[in-house]
Amino acid sequence: MSEYWQYDWYLLGAVVLLALCSVITRAGYFLFGDHIPLPDSVRRALRYAPVAALIAIIIPELLPWAQGETPVIGIEIVAAAAAVLVYVRTRSTLMVIVSGMLVLWLLQAIFS
Amino acid sequence: MVEQRRSGVWGRLPNATQRQYLKTGFIDFIPAMVATAVWAFVTGIAMVKSGLTESIATAMTLMVYAGSAQLTSLPLIESNAPLWLIFAAGFIVNIRFIIFGAALYPFFRHLSFFKRLVLGYITTDMVFVLFMKRYAESKQRSSSEHVWYFLGVVVPGWFTWQAFSLLGIYFGAMISDAWSLEYAAMLALLAILLPLVVNRPLIVCLIVAGAIAWVGQLLPLRLGLVLAVIGGVVAGVVVEQLQNKRKAP
Repeated sequence: MSEYWQYDWYLLGAVVLLALCSVITRAGYFLFGDHIPLPDSVRRALRYAPVAALIAIIIPELLPWAQGETPVIGIEIVAAAAAVLVYVRTRSTLMVIVSGMLVLWLLQAIFS
Repeated sequence: MVEQRRSGVWGRLPNATQRQYLKTGFIDFIPAMVATAVWAFVTGIAMVKSGLTESIATAMTLMVYAGSAQLTSLPLIESNAPLWLIFAAGFIVNIRFIIFGAALYPFFRHLSFFKRLVLGYITTDMVFVLFMKRYAESKQRSSSEHVWYFLGVVVPGWFTWQAFSLLGIYFGAMISDAWSLEYAAMLALLAILLPLVVNRPLIVCLIVAGAIAWVGQLLPLRLGLVLAVIGGVVAGVVVEQLQNKRKAP
């Protein structure tokens, strides 16, 4: 029972912290813009952080590699690769989701 | 005078001119409505499919209101990552809003603290693009036109997002796990990521961060994520500087 309690607090904490993220990053400049300079060099460096963070979240989901095991190459990475190719051809972000899901379902049907 | 100040921007219904600006904003937002709705729906599904209860997912969409940060947090929450890391990852993914805010705030600095807080908090990618397209060149800052146009975009945006996100949450809860809909969350993140990668430094950043993240899974405490961000940023900045040097005579 106490574990459930802890888990709920954990989730609630995550929600509150993420809400704080939204407020700080979005409203920060609206509120204190006159006092925060944003030099061009910092602004340029900041362009790379989101790309790095997004890929760093995605990769372990697509190419799991647990300690003491060999790296896994499964249908998830194949479907994602197909989705990337579709994006390069169509430039449509919606097609990334549609094509990725279709390829995943196809591969699941073949390999299960 | 006091009366006029109190009735300021949101104290009463907008007058005819202000309604016109509100309408212009809304009309500009309409083409983006479908994308917002689909996005919200997928995010809603992803939240419940990754194991959040419907009530936590509802709280998350209403309070966080940031698709990319929410999707980023899901794998971290699933693996019981420490809260500071969830905060850090959400913050980094939201960094673009800092840059948007820096560009937008000159238009709204005349407003009260509370109004700036609300306007800032409901800023979206969409309003940044539409607003700057229309007003980036305008000489006059801080007029009520800007405020009402902004509201015309963000208010319908908020309702569209929340309605479809809630739909996704309660629809997702009914769908069988056999459909692997949680994978749509990964694809949604991928769809946020791909349009950002527009030049060579960003491609190098992507590859370096991806490689570190892959090998970094063997490290404890999700240290791989932190190292990947640092490595990716350094790689991107270095390649950009090398490029600039080559361009310079």
